[in-house]
Amino acid sequence: MKSVREACVIIVVTGLCGVIAFFAHPKAPAFHVNELEVELEEVLRFEEAFWIDARSDEDFEKGHLEGALSLNEERWEEQIVDFLDAWNPDAPTVVYCSSQACLRSYEVAERLKAELGVENIFVLKGGWEKLAEVEIVEGANQ
Amino acid sequence: MRRLGQFVEIIVGAAFLWSGIAKLLDPSAFLSAILTYEVFSYKVSVIASLGVPYLELCVGACLVFRVIIGGARLLAVVLLVLFIILLSQAAMRGLDVDCGCFGSSKKSSEAGFFWPIARDVIMLVGIGLGIVAGVNANGNREK
Repeated sequence: MKSVREACVIIVVTGLCGVIAFFAHPKAPAFHVNELEVELEEVLRFEEAFWIDARSDEDFEKGHLEGALSLNEERWEEQIVDFLDAWNPDAPTVVYCSSQACLRSYEVAERLKAELGVENIFVLKGGWEKLAEVEIVEGANQ
Repeated sequence: MRRLGQFVEIIVGAAFLWSGIAKLLDPSAFLSAILTYEVFSYKVSVIASLGVPYLELCVGACLVFRVIIGGARLLAVVLLVLFIILLSQAAMRGLDVDCGCFGSSKKSSEAGFFWPIARDVIMLVGIGLGIVAGVNANGNREK
């Protein structure tokens, strides 16, 4: 019984730390990401789209959506120049990464929104796996 | 026996500390790892991505510094059993998961599930040894 009480104390301390981290940790994940998400079916209805591949350089080299530009957090400073050269502000920007579990696309989309004020930006739900599933690209390479 | 139990528990505690710190350095990477298990919803995973590292830190610190040891042992057992269940279900479902055991790492389909599960079982045995040694020491003292 004493152990259970002690465990409860640890859980309470942990909970407090978790709440503080949620508001103060610089890398704390967002609680709501759905507002950026878009289904592939919806993207296919866009007249045009500017595609961003947020996966690693290695994955991009193995295969990527035709016309997609590589932009990831690891090489942000170098790749952002290419992005600015190629970016079409009139077309919606759609970011994808490897799968639904991957958060890199959200990070890239949030950063483009915050740093460059890109408003018309979406994250592809399901990412590369979804593109492979409907055979827009060949095979999920993750 | 008592000293051996304490020593093993300190090692397990240090592993928990290391694991908690690695996860806290990049909670988003750990969140990605949790999502690959396809068990929890996104919101539950966000809570876990911030809660589990601190829980591991607290449990690890208690085991290393020998404070509120009973609660720390109980939570260590609960955490390790949970990790073993999560890894086992992922292995049985043939999922391509990122273990996330010490922050983000390789996908387990590449690295294999055996070592992460074996590591958790070894840590569980370590805690068991600490409990048995503690009980024996208390028994001897009462005699």
